[in-house]
Amino acid sequence: MLQQSRIALISSQAQLSSLLQLRLQSKGYQVMVVEKTAAALGTFYSDPPDLIIVDFSSPCVGCHDMLCMVRGDSFFSPIPIIGVFPTGMEQESWDDFPLDDFVTTPLNFTELVSRIVLSLSRIKRIFDNNPLTRLPGNTSIHRAIEESLGLPLAVCYVDINHFKPYNDVFGFSHGDEVIRMLARIMANAVRESGGGFCGHVGGDDFVFIVPRERAEQVCSTVISHFDQIVQTLFDEDTKQRGYYLALDRKGQKEQMPILGISIAIVPMDSPGISHAARVAEVAAELKKLAKGNKGSSFVVDRRSGMRE
Amino acid sequence: MDERRSDLKKIIMDTKTLPTLPGVINKLNSLSNDDKSSVQEMARIVSADQVLSARILRLANSPSYGFYRVSTISNAMILLGVNVVKSLALSSSIFEIMEKNSVGLWEHSLGAATAAGIIARKLALPEVEEITTAGLLHDIGKVIIGLKCAEQMPEIRRQIKLDDLYISEAEKAVLDTDHAEVGGWLSKSWFLPEKLSEPIAYHHNVAGSEDHRIKTSVVHLADVLIKASGFGDSGDSYVPPIQQVAWDALKLNELLLQEMVVELEDKLVEVKNFSLELANAAAV
Repeated sequence: MLQQSRIALISSQAQLSSLLQLRLQSKGYQVMVVEKTAAALGTFYSDPPDLIIVDFSSPCVGCHDMLCMVRGDSFFSPIPIIGVFPTGMEQESWDDFPLDDFVTTPLNFTELVSRIVLSLSRIKRIFDNNPLTRLPGNTSIHRAIEESLGLPLAVCYVDINHFKPYNDVFGFSHGDEVIRMLARIMANAVRESGGGFCGHVGGDDFVFIVPRERAEQVCSTVISHFDQIVQTLFDEDTKQRGYYLALDRKGQKEQMPILGISIAIVPMDSPGISHAARVAEVAAELKKLAKGNKGSSFVVDRRSGMRE
Repeated sequence: MDERRSDLKKIIMDTKTLPTLPGVINKLNSLSNDDKSSVQEMARIVSADQVLSARILRLANSPSYGFYRVSTISNAMILLGVNVVKSLALSSSIFEIMEKNSVGLWEHSLGAATAAGIIARKLALPEVEEITTAGLLHDIGKVIIGLKCAEQMPEIRRQIKLDDLYISEAEKAVLDTDHAEVGGWLSKSWFLPEKLSEPIAYHHNVAGSEDHRIKTSVVHLADVLIKASGFGDSGDSYVPPIQQVAWDALKLNELLLQEMVVELEDKLVEVKNFSLELANAAAV
């Protein structure tokens, strides 16, 4: 069965919303109507829609802020948003307006449906984000690293220590949960420190980019939050012991420590970093150092004349 | 199942939002405008409100995020992020502000959380934060009943007074269920972990809990101790006895209990100050 796309409709006009709801449902969409902007975020956060339609033809108090909040969270930012405007009242500057498309009133219903279909198919096509974590994937990561070359930024490579045995012992759905948790922890820490870029390379590999002077602090936050959350994944006995049993390649029982993470910080303004591929190489070398530590840790690339 | 009971259960399963105390919202709001506010500081404030805590845990456990069983506020805040928590708090505040007369119940919940924490630490139990959270949420059913069964409330109050009943007895007589069971339903439909839902559902019937009897016993004891202390207002005027099952499960003795009570009395002074601080924040 084809899964129905779910559309959230924000409008204070009961007439418009019930009409739209009826017509969209007849096209096979599931529609949830949100009358009050203030209630919208709570609804979206607990039950994210596939597409949002916002009615700007009637007063929409707090709509702009609400849409910015949706856009600001990596988990929700890919959701396409279509605005409904009275003819002639379209925005002149779209720069600060978090919309993907718009239609005008009086509504041409066929046009609206076409725009919905196009928005949904566009998001599928250009969606570089990782389906598990919804963080940007490799194309975006590569671009972000290229753009930060030579700037006072730090590219931080994150991965989970001993992730494979955890996946093997506890099953991939628990493995996926750890990945999702790390993604959220990282994205929140970067955002709350003042912003930056977050990407998911794949598997248990992540990248984030923040200003150089904030890098260590963000890494510490990510590590302390991850170490706290990870405690909830193991039972009391395992936590007390500090390890669980897994089979190594030869089928021998091996003691695996509680999950931790390693982060390699590569400052982008050091002379040794001349092109994007070099960043990954340096990070790989640093990772080996970080992995030498017990538990979670981060290592900074200081070899190429870093100013401290 | 009796009709009234199944009707009520259906209503509760559909419940998505609950009112929050305005003071908590104001405090949170002023905090998060300050960039340096840490997750811990926000968690401390959120943990003062049983309803907001329940909503945040509901969100962290909602299937769309794909986390299994988040049972503490600080973990939920780490995973959801400060912004999400803040907007959730604000979105609840505008339309559903808790009534003034709920303040007593709110203080009772906060006090029970404090007591649960003291008991858990005293007995060196694991997962103190989870137990504290369960203490905080144990009477969440009363909030829902007050909200969804407003018509029957006068009758419940009348029976408590005239027939000398405990709240849960009066609730059973009028609604055919009680706040513990209702809280259990809500926590199930909100996907809260069993280490929270069991203590909520069985804090008046410890023998009914199976997998988390220790945690349930702590919450039961905390509820009794806080009622005995006279802190807040649970709605009951009598202090219920400590159930033997709980006494046994926690391996209690008189001396331990005495120490807990002394420690609780000291701590409640602090809690009272905190609650005044939040009440003042509401007035601003």
